[in-house]
Formats: sequence, structure tokens, C-alpha cells
Amino acid sequence: MDLSYQEKSILGSLVAMLVVYGYYFAAVLHNVGQPEFIGAGLGRLFLAVVAIIVIEIVYHIVLALESKPEPKDERDILIEAKGYRNAYFALSTGAFLVIAGVIAAGLSRGASPMPVNVTLFLMANIVLLFMVVAEVIKFATQLLYYRRGV
Amino acid sequence: MTRAKIRNNIRRLRFDRSEMTQQELAQKVGVTRQTVIAIEGDKYSPSLEVAFRIARVFGLPLEEVFQYDSAGSSTSAP
Repeated sequence: MDLSYQEKSILGSLVAMLVVYGYYFAAVLHNVGQPEFIGAGLGRLFLAVVAIIVIEIVYHIVLALESKPEPKDERDILIEAKGYRNAYFALSTGAFLVIAGVIAAGLSRGASPMPVNVTLFLMANIVLLFMVVAEVIKFATQLLYYRRGV
Repeated sequence: MTRAKIRNNIRRLRFDRSEMTQQELAQKVGVTRQTVIAIEGDKYSPSLEVAFRIARVFGLPLEEVFQYDSAGSSTSAP
């Protein structure tokens, strides 16, 4: 398949995000309710952020050596804008669900079996999950528009 | 209202101009080769500015490069 520089760049970022955050969220879910939930979770979060940055830098250096980088033209910018539009829907849905969760938690104050710090860390992870989902939707729909046409 | 299609003769015009490559046209117009491929395949309708630049490369008026295919579109009266 003949992929452009932009498509290769997006595909690499999509795979990196799925692998790194897939591993991170699997580990976080596995540790819910464990005593080391917050400590280990923060460590993994730091590692995930560093891993994404390192992978992106190395991948784009290799990509630049392998195929000549091309500046974005009007079609690339349009496709990127449509990707952001789709990501916005996912992010706003996540924000709405978190707000609903906070209100529900406030109404049932004291009913939660989890300590406050655990609940807050869990909530932070839910926000992060929706940010990652939004980014994945952006990358995936960009690749779709490149193939299907826009 | 269905989506209107803008068709073009770029592939034929490139062939008529000493088989100009997609890369050469892309460089003259200032877009990527992938965008030229998408325009030729009717997968992307370029902006007016890029359409005029393409027409200028071939030295033709816009209407001889791009055609508005209104057969598949219909508009409802207000």
C-alpha cells in the first residue's frame, strides 16, 4: 500500500498510543482495589508519558530518514480538522460522563466504599482514558479520510 | 440535496503535456503528490485557489480543467 508521509506519521502515532496506553490502562484496571493502586499507577503513568514521547521522537526520526517529509497542504489540513471534529465529540461525551459521575458521587456522599484519594485517582484515569480515546478517534478517522476521500 | 461532484481532465491533460508526472504537477501547484492523486480520482475537490493554479499550469481556463457535474444533485426550492 502506497502511504504518504502524513499517513505513515499518523499510523505510527496511532499504534504507539494503542500499545502504550493499552498496556497502561490494562495495568491500572488490574490494580483497582489493591493497596499499591495509586503509587504504582502514578509510576506507570509517568512511564507511559515518557514512552510515548520517546517512541514518537525515534519513529519520526526514522520516518524522516526513510521518506522525505512533506509539508501539509490544504487537503492534509482539512483532514486534520475533520479528525479534530470527531475527537471533540468523544472528548465532550467523556467530559459529560465525568461531570455526571462527580454529581452522582456528591449526592451519595459517604456511600462509596473507596477512600477519596482512590476515587480521585480513578476519576483522573477516566478523564485520561477519554483523552486517549479522542486522540485514537482523531488518528483513525484521519487515516479513513485519506483512504476513502474527503 | 445530494452531494455534487466536481470532475476533471487532469490525467488526460498531463498525458497531453509530454506525460507530465503527478509529482511534477504537485510541485508546480504546491500540493503533495497524494493530493494530485486524490483530485484525479475525484476523491477530493480542491479549493478555488488550487483549482486556478492547476488550470494555470496547463494554460487553460478553469472550465476546461474542471467540470461541475450537476446531474446527480438536486436542490429544493425555498
